[in-house]
Amino acid sequence: MPGAPGGQILRSFVNLNEPTDSCCPQPDAEPTATPACVPVWLILLALVLLFFGAIYFDRHSGWFDPKVYAPYGSADQLAAYQPQSGDAAFAARGKTVYESVCGLCHGSDGLGKPGQAPPLAGSEWVAKDLVSLARVPLAGLNGPISVAGKDWSLAMAPMGAGLSDADLAAVLTYIRGAWGNKSAPITEAEIKSARAAISGNAPSAEELAKLTPPERGHLVFKKYGCFQCHGPDGKGGVSNFNAKTAEQVPSLIYVADGYNKAELLAFISRGERVIPRKNPNGPEPPHFMPKWGGIVTTNELSDLAEFLFSLKPKGDKLDF
Amino acid sequence: MKKMFSSRVYLLSATVLALVWVGAARADDTMDAATKARIEAFEKGPATIDISKYPTALKDNYDLFSQKCTQCHKLSRPINSDYCLPSEWSRYVKRMMRKPGSGISSSEAKQIYEFLAYDSSVRKKAAVDTKLAAETAADQAADQAKIKEVHDKYDGK
Repeated sequence: MPGAPGGQILRSFVNLNEPTDSCCPQPDAEPTATPACVPVWLILLALVLLFFGAIYFDRHSGWFDPKVYAPYGSADQLAAYQPQSGDAAFAARGKTVYESVCGLCHGSDGLGKPGQAPPLAGSEWVAKDLVSLARVPLAGLNGPISVAGKDWSLAMAPMGAGLSDADLAAVLTYIRGAWGNKSAPITEAEIKSARAAISGNAPSAEELAKLTPPERGHLVFKKYGCFQCHGPDGKGGVSNFNAKTAEQVPSLIYVADGYNKAELLAFISRGERVIPRKNPNGPEPPHFMPKWGGIVTTNELSDLAEFLFSLKPKGDKLDF
Repeated sequence: MKKMFSSRVYLLSATVLALVWVGAARADDTMDAATKARIEAFEKGPATIDISKYPTALKDNYDLFSQKCTQCHKLSRPINSDYCLPSEWSRYVKRMMRKPGSGISSSEAKQIYEFLAYDSSVRKKAAVDTKLAAETAADQAADQAKIKEVHDKYDGK
């Protein structure tokens, strides 16, 4: 193209539709596209691909299951999904039992709760001989105790009395190895002998037989730590934040008015896991009535009911 | 493909049902299933009592009952409850009254008890008779005396 090609390009930009002075299209003009039909075979091919794509998706995609799509948060999380056996299963069991039984008060971090439960992390009691340590969950604790250089006045129910030897061994082993504690593991056989040693201190059947049912019931009341929430004399008054019952754990001195024996035993056995809330949008009240059925024996329950009935103040009588 | 899709639908519905069932089972942790079902059945019933044929003196008792008991539960619960004997109501009203913060004094509790004993002896007469027949002679006499007492106090007033 002799002359000034730049001028021609510029002109074609300025007015593309204007006929040029030449009779033929300029060889360097913009190409134009004309409409053309998509071939039918291409549409069919696309449909077939879509069809097989759908089948592939159905078979291999996992249907948006998060287990397929979401990555694991960490290697620990991935490990937690693996089936366990032997020592790993024992350790996992200990942690599970701890979280469901001990952790409510002593905390998942083993640091305890001020005024309620002493820490287990760094506690010298955790490192003590097995009988001293196992006595706590098996027989409960009452009164003053020094833990990690701090004085506590405690009341702990025998929370472990209902656990199997295997579970108790697992949870004590977990406590002895967690949060920086470094004491030896405990076996199921050791728990068995510790349990036998501790039960030697309990009142004998002959001693119990000499007591009246309310007296025996009082021992049951102490043994299972009922007083922790209902007070030493069953008069209640322990704070239970956001509970509908005036934010208190109820008093027991009038149960003789409100329950017959069958109703009372049924209630204690069943417990009340969900405490109605004062403010429905507020937090869950910290204390609830545990399910004592299967933990307290039938005879003990009967004695306990007699003790509770005996609490009613003399001369306090309603006229209906 | 069609078959596969419909099996997915079944699978999905089964999952939903399973979840609902698990949820219901979890709710049962708090109460045994029988008690829960019993209370729910009561609460589905009517929430008011037609007291137009009752002695006018009982109206205050009914108002007190409606006001105090609804602080914590639906009124349909006691209204449709299978409690009907005076001894049952006496125990139950005392149990509720002794809950901390109930705000029910002993005289108010008595008024509520009297209303419930009177109302049951009229509205749940058949149930009362059945339960009376099943009682020991001493309990039966005590309950009958209490029904008579509350009728003597209110009838015609």
